Amino acid sequence: MAEKNKPVVLPCNGIDKEAGAISRELALLLLEKGADVICPVLYQSNPKRYQKKLESGKLLVIDGCKTGCASKLAREHGLKIAKKATVNELLKEENLKSGKSPVIGTEKLGLLPAWAERLEELEDIVAEEGGTHFKTPVSFRQFAFDKFIFKVPEAGYFFNENDCWARVEGDRARLGVSDYVQQSASDIIFFEPPEVGKELNMFDEAGSIESTKTALDIISPVSGTVTAVNQELVEAPELINSDPYVAGWAVEVALSDFESDRELLMDCAGYFDYLNEKVKKEYRKRYGGK
Amino acid sequence: MQVSEETFMGVPRKDIPWCPAIDYEKCDYCMECDEFCPHGVFERREGEEKKLVVAHPENCVVFCKVCAKTCGPDALSFPDKTETLELIKRLREDKRDG
Repeated sequence: MAEKNKPVVLPCNGIDKEAGAISRELALLLLEKGADVICPVLYQSNPKRYQKKLESGKLLVIDGCKTGCASKLAREHGLKIAKKATVNELLKEENLKSGKSPVIGTEKLGLLPAWAERLEELEDIVAEEGGTHFKTPVSFRQFAFDKFIFKVPEAGYFFNENDCWARVEGDRARLGVSDYVQQSASDIIFFEPPEVGKELNMFDEAGSIESTKTALDIISPVSGTVTAVNQELVEAPELINSDPYVAGWAVEVALSDFESDRELLMDCAGYFDYLNEKVKKEYRKRYGGK
Repeated sequence: MQVSEETFMGVPRKDIPWCPAIDYEKCDYCMECDEFCPHGVFERREGEEKKLVVAHPENCVVFCKVCAKTCGPDALSFPDKTETLELIKRLREDKRDG
């Protein structure tokens, strides 16, 4: 029987880039230390092959670069990522960059055993539950344009011009994207959350989403520390389409300076008017006329 | 018809220097960024040395960096967010003070 909570490593394994090659070497070093390794190519074509290992183990994903193919693969198959590292970020910490050749440089090879040890010690990605906040029902105003209807909450939300919202209660806020984003992006198929504990400045990335049409970052309207991510949304990103302002929340933050953040934000009425104008402008751009 | 000026947070968009910069040492012209960007920021230049240029920086969504994520060779960079935000705040104040 497989050992409970044994590390199961999914590296990006990208063969044409140095960062990918490093992710593979790290996986092999961890294999020597007793972890299981998943070949992303075989997993892609025959996921059942690794089912048992995945069910009993703890998944460590090693991405090579920001493209995050290994994380994406994991999410496509509904795998729970327990730990995660990105080779380019490990390199950055050493003031190094991945080179043009996919062959790993000698200096970098020397670093890998220490990195493998670090990866073994990585803490699990954990998310707290939201507690007692954000339970009150939300009411909406809406306007129609052409065949589309856009909803905006009536109160309690603040927006930036990147169409992201913060629902503020006391010193906490939940963040998400507006109805406009979900309609323009169409079917949302991925939500990549930020790490719990991440410090956010205003306009920093608070996770990202991908739809069948496009990809975008959730650009934080507020500054603070991420205290929770919406695990339900990780499992069902389409919640953003069905309920962008309530069930489709992405992350929760402990606010650090909302009084000053709010000077740069629109309230619900302000965003309602802003969105109305924006939709008209987009329509004119696309189809001409007034 | 007079076309109203594009603004971001009440500041003329043209005054905010937010757009990607291409590091031509690293760019391998895979064109993933151009294929991704729905705002037409990039333009391809067939037959020229620089086969991809940032032709329409004003179309770039301020604070959006998603194209950089599509870039395998990590050839796209953006201005510092905090500095950009400080600039926007300053321009808003200038406007308010007339």
